[in-house]
Amino acid sequence: MFDFLTIDFVRHFPVIAVMGLFLCAFLVEIFGAKNKYIRNTIVLVAAFGAFALITSLVKPVLFDGEILAYWMGNWEPVSGYAIGIGYEIDALNMFFALLVVTTILLAAIYSIKYMARDHHLGHYYTLFLMLSGSVLGLVLTGDIFNMFVMIEIMTFASVALTAFRNNKFGSLEAAFKYLIIGSIGSSMTLAGIALLYAQCHTLNMAQISAVLGSGALSPTSICAFALMFAGFGVKSYIVPFHAPAADAYMTAPTSISMVFSGMVNKAGVYGMIRLVYVIFRAMDITPIQLFLVTFGTITMFIGVTMALAQHDFKRLLAFHSISQIGYVITAVSLCTALGLEAGLFHAMNHTLFKGLLFLTAGAVLYAAGTTDLDKLGGLAKKMPKTAVCFLIGAFSISGLPPFNGFASKWMIYQATFEKATTTGNFAYAFVTVVALVVSVMTLASFIKVTQAVFFGQLPANLRDVKEVPLLMRIPMWIMSALCILTGVFYNFVQQHILVPAANAAFGVTKYIDSMMGEGTAAASGISDYAVQGVEGIVSIWNPKLWLILFAIVLIAVFIVILTGDNTRGRVLEKSEEDSEDGKYATFFGGEKSAHSHVSGSDLFWGFKHDFKGYFKFIQGMHSGVVNDYALWVVVGAALIVVFMFATFMFI
Amino acid sequence: MLDIIINTIKNAGFVLVFPGILFVSIAGLLLAGIDRKVLARMQKRKGPPILQPVYDFFKLMGKETIIPHEANKTAFLGAPIVGFVSLVVIMLFLPIAGFEAPFGIEGDLVIILYLLTIPAVALIIGGSASGSPFAGIGISREMVAMMAYELPLVIVLLSVAKVAGGDSLAFSLNTIIDAQAGGELFITKWQLIPAVLAMLLVIPAEVGTQPFDVAEAETEICEGPLVEYSGAPLAMFKLNTAIKMFIMTALFSVLFLGGINLGIEGWYGIVLNVVVLFAACAVLTILCMTLIHAICARLKIEHMFKFYWTVVTALAAISLILVWIF
Repeated sequence: MFDFLTIDFVRHFPVIAVMGLFLCAFLVEIFGAKNKYIRNTIVLVAAFGAFALITSLVKPVLFDGEILAYWMGNWEPVSGYAIGIGYEIDALNMFFALLVVTTILLAAIYSIKYMARDHHLGHYYTLFLMLSGSVLGLVLTGDIFNMFVMIEIMTFASVALTAFRNNKFGSLEAAFKYLIIGSIGSSMTLAGIALLYAQCHTLNMAQISAVLGSGALSPTSICAFALMFAGFGVKSYIVPFHAPAADAYMTAPTSISMVFSGMVNKAGVYGMIRLVYVIFRAMDITPIQLFLVTFGTITMFIGVTMALAQHDFKRLLAFHSISQIGYVITAVSLCTALGLEAGLFHAMNHTLFKGLLFLTAGAVLYAAGTTDLDKLGGLAKKMPKTAVCFLIGAFSISGLPPFNGFASKWMIYQATFEKATTTGNFAYAFVTVVALVVSVMTLASFIKVTQAVFFGQLPANLRDVKEVPLLMRIPMWIMSALCILTGVFYNFVQQHILVPAANAAFGVTKYIDSMMGEGTAAASGISDYAVQGVEGIVSIWNPKLWLILFAIVLIAVFIVILTGDNTRGRVLEKSEEDSEDGKYATFFGGEKSAHSHVSGSDLFWGFKHDFKGYFKFIQGMHSGVVNDYALWVVVGAALIVVFMFATFMFI
Repeated sequence: MLDIIINTIKNAGFVLVFPGILFVSIAGLLLAGIDRKVLARMQKRKGPPILQPVYDFFKLMGKETIIPHEANKTAFLGAPIVGFVSLVVIMLFLPIAGFEAPFGIEGDLVIILYLLTIPAVALIIGGSASGSPFAGIGISREMVAMMAYELPLVIVLLSVAKVAGGDSLAFSLNTIIDAQAGGELFITKWQLIPAVLAMLLVIPAEVGTQPFDVAEAETEICEGPLVEYSGAPLAMFKLNTAIKMFIMTALFSVLFLGGINLGIEGWYGIVLNVVVLFAACAVLTILCMTLIHAICARLKIEHMFKFYWTVVTALAAISLILVWIF
């Protein structure tokens, strides 16, 4: 049935997908500024078109292992030098492109109802489609300057979208911070690219990799490497570049927060993987591995501890985003088969569960009008479907079985501990411990949200909250289903998606050869990494076993439903003395005068008390002053430059 | 077809009888009874009969269940069952008493680590769903307590996994048992002695007995998360606590005592093993729960947290470092 999808035919799809998104961005503004039906149609057609075009590449690229090389305008290399813009799609950027198009599609569906109350939606969708097109282009391109252009479009669309609800407190400030930090990051990337171009006389990533070859890097290339590394670090919000993320995620419309955490910071992660694994082929150098692991570990710890201190739903999720990216970076930087697969898997899962959590946060904001944890409570009664979706997302991110977060985190623990035993380096065992503890803290943090938003007492002003419309629930259900499916059938995911993607990162020669012609890599002395993707990780999946478990849980649920409906469970009647305020409701135990609701931000009192020194320090560091944040970025970049020089000069 | 039926019956037997629901409930309630009796004798009281927790359980099952008006009914009633189910599932992963775990697979150590958090989470969700302010305070403490004991527990498990695996990984309880098969119990390894001590201190916190019962603290916040519970759900929570006593001590015996296997063939061998295992669990209960309970008064939550993240974590970390070096 799909015979017409030959390689030569589908080769054009990625470019069409990117161009389609950009084109529709303008069409929305031209034709859809007044009429919402035209507007929505254009957006949905663009999002669904990109989704269909990219998913039709899954079979040739991921399953059959083809690499699609595409020269824009058929400008093929002249005497071995790439002169045109090339798109090169291997399993690695295919994997990220899949995440991107899924996010675009779901965010577009969600936006229709969620944004309906806002004005100037033409602008919103223009920016949204620009953002989508730029991120898709960023992950698909094989040309490093084209990548920079996409980064620029991405940054400025993100800034404008952050400030989109500019009547809301803090949104302009957030956009300003994003603008400053994002520009510093982009400038560093551009400087790196310029140095690289001066060195290699080409902008094609495959060719840069070939020209840099296997020999020692020149000081110019080292400087370029460090600057680009810092630039992509800013885009993926690893500590110390993370500061603007929290503000931006909090104040942007929630559909955009989901896009930020689902694909914008994944684009940064993709850039890092491509940069370190393929372009500079530096990942088997031990100090680089340790350096990246350190970054990842610090990121996950600082992210989660900052999240514990938050009392805004979306800001809390933002810090968890930072923390989870720390997991991804840690796993990816191990440079083992299991590690890279675990990192990619976690990146994918993060897109799913964090997207889901942002959508539920958006639903809460839509229904209740606030995301302040101290003002919410008891919404599970009013919004049961959203509450179920939230719980699925929360259990996934906390890594409880059988959700997807469990599978990927389990692979990460295993990969780090394996690295510790094979290298004999105790630091990696320490990383395993930190990863496990961060996971517990994540769980605790989400229990706090559960208590503060969905359980606990329903404040009087939220008595007539309604469940969100169906069109907002559909993306949530899709995300929830994906969270469960990728967790349960993780073997399938690993075999058909993660292993090809990991092999693509390890197989540098194939990447170079399919773009620049057979033998290019061999001529410049580049070899693949010694490791290859593995399929047989230690199994946690035994279908019969989980079927039995499922039966037990089903029986338990059945019992709950039965006991829930029987007449013995007597619900206490509301007495006449009760005021409207839930604070004085009738309870079985306790006296009315003793009642005081524990608000969300007080839940970790004991923990915060013991770590008050640390919290004081870390919260003081997050001063909210953009000068401080810019300073962090510059200092972080300087550190990276110094470290890179030290590494490459002395190995 | 016949195979499937036989397998189904067999698996149902594992879940319902041994080592599942029936066995673990009885063992847990008996341990709770022993705990109360010995505690009473330590305080020169006569104490209740050993079967008292069993009587209590059936008494509570027969009482009326009252649900607060503010409560989220499904979560309120569902929480104790979820906790109970996860505890039973842990039992199916534990290769105790020379008995091959029905669910024993590679990597079960991490699964158990995760499943152990679920009863605590269930307690938190249940308390939270009741909407009561006492429960609110209780769950906040339970959460901090969970973070407190999880860190040393993780390090203890890593040390044991490192010893059992040698150069490779051993996140499998069966490998840990096999490594101790020749009578070389891990408790006799000098590198692991700090880990044993740490584990003995983790057990009471995980179960939530005095002095680490900050979350329930009945004299202070009226049993915290349990304050609104009555009747059958309360009975389930009490049962869960009792089962946790058995599971934590049994986990200890798996990690450090080779799961108690006397090596006698035949069904009476298993029975004997189970009896010895129960005796070991009782001794451990008395050692790390009853004794400390009788000696100490309840800690404040911040003191408990500090204690676990300094003393107990240090013990576990010393063990991990020793294991790594030697």
